[in-house]
Amino acid sequence: MSWIREGELNLIEKISANILKAGPMPKHVAFIMDGNRRFARKKQMERQEGHMQGFNKLAETLRWCKHLNIQEVTVYAFSIENFKRSQNEVDGLMVLAKQKFEKLLEERENLEKHGVCIRVLGDLNMLPLDLQQLIAKAVVSTKTHNKCFLNVCFAYTSRYEITNAVREMAWGVEQGQIKASDVSEALLSECLYSNNSPNPDLLIRTSGEVRLSDFLLWQTSHSCLVFQSVLWPEYSFWNLCEAILQYQLNHTSIQKARDLHREHQAFVQLEADRACVAEHLQHHGNGKPADARRRQEALQHYATCREERIHDFLEALQNRRDSYYTDLLSDAVVA
Amino acid sequence: MALLYGLLWRLLLFLVHINRALVSWLRVRLRSWKGRLWERAMAALLLPVALAGVPDPQRKVNQDPDANANPVTGNRNAGRRSRWLSDGRSLEKLPVHIGLLVAEEEPSYTDIANLAVWCMAVGISYVSVYDNHGIFQKNNSRLLEEIVRQQQDLMGVDGSKCDVEFLSQGSDKHQHHESKSVPDPELVVKFGPVDSTLGFLPWHIRLTEFISLPSHRDVSYEDLLGVLRRFGSCQQRLGQ
Repeated sequence: MSWIREGELNLIEKISANILKAGPMPKHVAFIMDGNRRFARKKQMERQEGHMQGFNKLAETLRWCKHLNIQEVTVYAFSIENFKRSQNEVDGLMVLAKQKFEKLLEERENLEKHGVCIRVLGDLNMLPLDLQQLIAKAVVSTKTHNKCFLNVCFAYTSRYEITNAVREMAWGVEQGQIKASDVSEALLSECLYSNNSPNPDLLIRTSGEVRLSDFLLWQTSHSCLVFQSVLWPEYSFWNLCEAILQYQLNHTSIQKARDLHREHQAFVQLEADRACVAEHLQHHGNGKPADARRRQEALQHYATCREERIHDFLEALQNRRDSYYTDLLSDAVVA
Repeated sequence: MALLYGLLWRLLLFLVHINRALVSWLRVRLRSWKGRLWERAMAALLLPVALAGVPDPQRKVNQDPDANANPVTGNRNAGRRSRWLSDGRSLEKLPVHIGLLVAEEEPSYTDIANLAVWCMAVGISYVSVYDNHGIFQKNNSRLLEEIVRQQQDLMGVDGSKCDVEFLSQGSDKHQHHESKSVPDPELVVKFGPVDSTLGFLPWHIRLTEFISLPSHRDVSYEDLLGVLRRFGSCQQRLGQ
C-alpha cells in the first residue's frame, strides 16, 4: 500500500476544509498514532494487521493534511520503549518498516512530484542495519524536496533526544567551538533531531490516553494538545477537523503564551550577554568604568561573535549528521 | 467566496462557544440531578468538541455543607480528616506527586491553597503549583500563608506538612537542587480553557497523565476526588 494517496476530498469535506482554512491553521501537526493493537483486538484480527491498518491510516491522513495545507507532519512510529515488546511483535514491526521504506523508494518519482521530504528521527543505531540503509536512502533522496515534510520518529524517545542534544553541546564546549555561556534553551532546540522543523502547532493523540509518552516533550511545550478517544486505524477526516477546530479555539491564548516565552528567552539571552561583556570589560578595561556607548558597542560585538560561533558549531553538527547517512549509503554500495 | 467561508467560520466558532456556555450552565444546574439524566442531556445537546473541556459528571457524594466554612468544633475537623484519608485509601492509585497547572488569568490563592491542603489530606506527598506568568512563584510567601491558613481551617492545627514547590516560567533552575529526590509528577490537573502545558516541566512530564478541569475558581473537594478517580482508571503500558 502506497505512502502517497491521490484523490480529492468529496464535496462536504471540501466545504468543511474551506471553512476551517478561513481561520488560523496549524503549519506543523504531530500525531501519536495510538490504538492499533486495541483496534486489532476489537476487529478480531492479528496484531500485525492492526499495525498495517495503522500505516494505511497514516497515508490517508497525509492526504487530508495536504488538502488542508498542513505542510509538516511528525509521527510517533516506534518508541525505544517499544523494544520491550515480544520479540515476535518487534520483528514484525521491523519487517513492516522495511517493507514500507522499500515501497517509499519505489515511489521516488511521486515523492519528487509532490515535493515530499522524509526525515527519520531517533537513535537509528538501534535498528537492524538493512533498515538503517533503507532509511538512509529515503532520507538522502528526498533531502532537497521542500513542499511538504514528513518526520517519522523511529527508535525515538524525547528524553534520549534531549540527552543527546545536551551531549552535543557539551562536546562543543569541550572542543572550544562554543562557550559554556552559549548554552541556552534556544541552543538546545537547535541540537535536537528536529532542529530543521518549527515546533508543532498541534499535537494529537488517539485512543483516549492522556499522556505524552516521551514524545516531543521539549518541542510541544507551547503546542495545542488534543486527546481524542478514537483508535488510530479508525481516525477520520472529521476527527482531524475536530482537532484543528480545537487548535483554532486555543490559538489566541497559546500565541500569547508563546510570545511571552519568546520575549522572556530574549531577555535572558540579553542579560547573559551583558554579564559576559561586563566581565570582559572588567578584565580588559583600564580600571575606569566603561561608558554606556562603549558597553553597547561591546555588547553588539559580543552578540555577533556569539551568533557566528553558534552558527559554525551547528553547521559542524549538521555535517556530522549528514555523514552518518552518506557513510551508510557507501557501505551499502560496497556490501 | 473567501468572504463567505470567513463568515461561516466565524459562525462555527460562535456556535461552539454557545455550546460551551450551555454546558457550563447546565453542569451547575444539573449537579444535583441523578447521573444518568445528566449524561442523556449532555449526549443530546453536545458536539464532541464542546465536551473536550468537560469532566466526568460528578456523582453525588455525601456533601459536607461545611467543607469550606470555618470549623466550629475539633470533632468536625477530625471527621473531615479521617474521611479524606479514607477517600485517599479507597482510590485505586494515588499519585505521589501531583501538578496543579493554572492556565487562567488572575489565579486565586485561596482555591489553590484549598487544593494543596486536600491533596495533602488525601495522601499525596508532593504538590507542584505552576502558572504561566510566574505569579505564584513571585508571591510564594503569600501562597504559603494561605496554605497554612486553610490547613488550620480545614484540618486543625496539626496537619502533616509536605513540600510545596514553586515553579514559574524561566525560574532559576538552581533552586531545584532539592528536586532531585522528588519523583516525576504522575498526574497534572490543568485548570482553564487553554489546551497546552504552557512550558510546565517538559522533561518530567514524560509519562504524566493530564486531566483538565474548567477552572480552579471555587473548585471543590469533590472535583479533585473526581479527577483522582479518573486517574485511577488510567492504565500505562510503558511501551509494551
